Amino acid sequence: MSGSGSMPGADPSRIGVIAFDRETKGLTGIVVKGFLLSLVTFGIYRFWYITNLRRYFWSRTVVAGSPGEYTGRGKELFLGFLVALAVLVPIYLLLFGLSLASPALAALAGPISFIFLFFLGQYAIFRGRRYRASRTLWRGIRLGQDGSAITYVGMALGWWLLTIVTLGIAFPWMRASLERYRINHTLIGDSRMASTATGGMVLKPWLLLYVVGLGPLLVSFLAFLIANKFSIPTDMMIPDPHKPGQFIFNPIYAGTPLATYGTVVGVVSAIFIPLAVLLFPYYRARETRAFMNAAALGASRLQSTLRARQFYWPYIIYFLAMLGFVAVFAIIIGIVVAIVASGGGNTGAFSGMHWLLVLLVIPLYLGMLLAFAVLAVRIITVRLWRAVTDTTTIENVEALNAVLASSRRTASGLNEGLADALDVGGAIEIGF
Amino acid sequence: MNVPFSTITTSGTFFDGRSARPHPVTLRLGDHLGITGGEIREEWSLIDIRASETEPPTMRLTLAGSPARVEFTDEALASAIGARCPDLRVDDEAHGGVLRLVLWSIAAGVSVLLVAIYGVPASAGLIAPLVPPSVETQFGASVDGQVVSLLGSPPLCDDPAGKAVLDRLVARMTEGADLPVKPLVSVRRHAMANALTLPGARVIVLSDLIAKSNSADEFAGVLAHEFGHVAHRDPTKAVITAGGVSFLLSLILGDLTGSTLIIGIGQAAISAGYSRDAERAADAYGVAMMLRAGGDGAALATILEHIDEDAEKESSPTGFLRSHPYTKERAATIRRLAGGSQPDKHILSDEDWQALKKICPVAKATPGDEKPKKPVE
Repeated sequence: MSGSGSMPGADPSRIGVIAFDRETKGLTGIVVKGFLLSLVTFGIYRFWYITNLRRYFWSRTVVAGSPGEYTGRGKELFLGFLVALAVLVPIYLLLFGLSLASPALAALAGPISFIFLFFLGQYAIFRGRRYRASRTLWRGIRLGQDGSAITYVGMALGWWLLTIVTLGIAFPWMRASLERYRINHTLIGDSRMASTATGGMVLKPWLLLYVVGLGPLLVSFLAFLIANKFSIPTDMMIPDPHKPGQFIFNPIYAGTPLATYGTVVGVVSAIFIPLAVLLFPYYRARETRAFMNAAALGASRLQSTLRARQFYWPYIIYFLAMLGFVAVFAIIIGIVVAIVASGGGNTGAFSGMHWLLVLLVIPLYLGMLLAFAVLAVRIITVRLWRAVTDTTTIENVEALNAVLASSRRTASGLNEGLADALDVGGAIEIGF
Repeated sequence: MNVPFSTITTSGTFFDGRSARPHPVTLRLGDHLGITGGEIREEWSLIDIRASETEPPTMRLTLAGSPARVEFTDEALASAIGARCPDLRVDDEAHGGVLRLVLWSIAAGVSVLLVAIYGVPASAGLIAPLVPPSVETQFGASVDGQVVSLLGSPPLCDDPAGKAVLDRLVARMTEGADLPVKPLVSVRRHAMANALTLPGARVIVLSDLIAKSNSADEFAGVLAHEFGHVAHRDPTKAVITAGGVSFLLSLILGDLTGSTLIIGIGQAAISAGYSRDAERAADAYGVAMMLRAGGDGAALATILEHIDEDAEKESSPTGFLRSHPYTKERAATIRRLAGGSQPDKHILSDEDWQALKKICPVAKATPGDEKPKKPVE
């Protein structure tokens, strides 16, 4: 059986193929059920939905002839969420009470909760990964993750500070360092994975993103600061007297370097921020490939030939599909509005017919959201997942046969509930 | 299970659960599942066989409680296993699990909603009197800042003559009224006929209210109504309610970042949708205060009605005085409480009222105000 997934032309005993289901039958059913039940259960079903999705994706990923296995339960995630609530609610209440009692602290409440949430978020990311690993089996062998979440949080915090101080130059090294920590603490049975990822591997794609996307932005902002001798007047932006709640540029500074360079910064960010966003999948694809190639388990190594365009197509197709749906929806809404407007000339009273139309629009809207959810999973998640799996092979796959099961205890789902409550991580993460 | 079955034989791969080494095996399904090959000799009882999810026609079986796995790709065997193994698929969502989950979640959601609608306002009424005045004053100051910026930072109206009249009026009205804190009344230039009461006995009057008042008694009537909210601590209750409700709602909707919470506070102060009971109580308080101060108690009814009409004409939201369907009913109650209109009673001399009307000095050019607003009618 182990030879069933061999690549033509390669030595079948040495190259292991990773493949993902071509047809993805039954996936739409999971998404529709998950979406509708999440809707009527105030979102509580999402834990079971995520579990179903994971079970589907894991079991359709065939690694060297054997499909993966996900043994997590929705119940575990839900319990984790409840525990996270029990931890977070008192903290929020405390922050809320403090900001009510003292206006001086109210200004600090934002930054304090941001830093606190950052800590908690990184913690949850690492522990959530541990949960997923311990619920993943391959050939009956359980995966696992050790290492300390506190250490991981400390590293993430230090690297982020360094990245901010160096205006983003340190970003690739941060990514590589955190990747090494994650992979080096990932176990398959009792065999430990190893990563040789370095920042240098992703420096080139990062520099491209940096020079094209962030560079002009930084330069224009620096010029802005220098031209204004590093002192931005506090009343640069003032509330718009005509639109409450909005801010406009203070006209008393018109014609000064503040206005000139401020405009430059505005124009540059309008052009280059979208460009940087557009370049990001390119960076992610290159990074995924580099980090996959750096990962090994004993004598077995991962080999990735991932192309950046494989990360773009899913988004482009999804975007086009969404445009089509929105257009159809807009046309229907337009027709409904036209009917309501034509009939509603007499004092605008609502007749039964109009209510009927309004009642039709609501399910239509929900239907559109449902269609988006299905498309997002079927196009983006499936295609990105497949892009990674189908371009990855295992070199020296025979060495994997030596992997032995471990007697480790399985991790609890509590910390992934935290990740959900903080909304980090997303439903499914690609790769290890 | 005693019926003899035809035996199905196929090949598969066995994993012993101790190592990842694949063992090619022969599977034989009779009244047991026999797995043989090399040194592997296994007999699996059909009731203990479990299948884990795989892409058909691949099937993966395991024995309950055992780490061993067997994988094969054979449709005949897969369907025979499906027919003969009763507990093949046992999972979370089996046995009505989904229905139970849905019903419990709906019950939980409804319960949280009921608490938000009934429980929170009730407990806010209990908590509000317990808030120490110093905390309330401090909080009022910070809400004042928020509200003013939400209104677009309208300038303060502080013409000395008008301000003096206003201060005297407030002192006279609150004399003998046992308000928890001495009210702090400020006037701001704004094209909205409205007055807001904030925690800590802060009352913000928007200048259009003065412009729209036909007499000092009308204006004083609204002010007295606001003092009613101060006396009943309605703003503090509203803030506690808004905070509690938005917290509960964010709990349901899963947004725990607290963003809705923070937004909720400022909004609550502005659109303070007090309950009808709270409004009626404030009306009654206001009428009593006006009568005590020697003014026309029914003037509040008059201004309520004509601002309501204006609002309908302009179809613009005008804060607490906005087009209430029950304005008529309120006005009637106010007139009854006041014992009818007493147009001969005046709370301010005509001279003082003219001074008060000029409390907003002629618009000074402020930054950003390059387009002067149309004059306040």
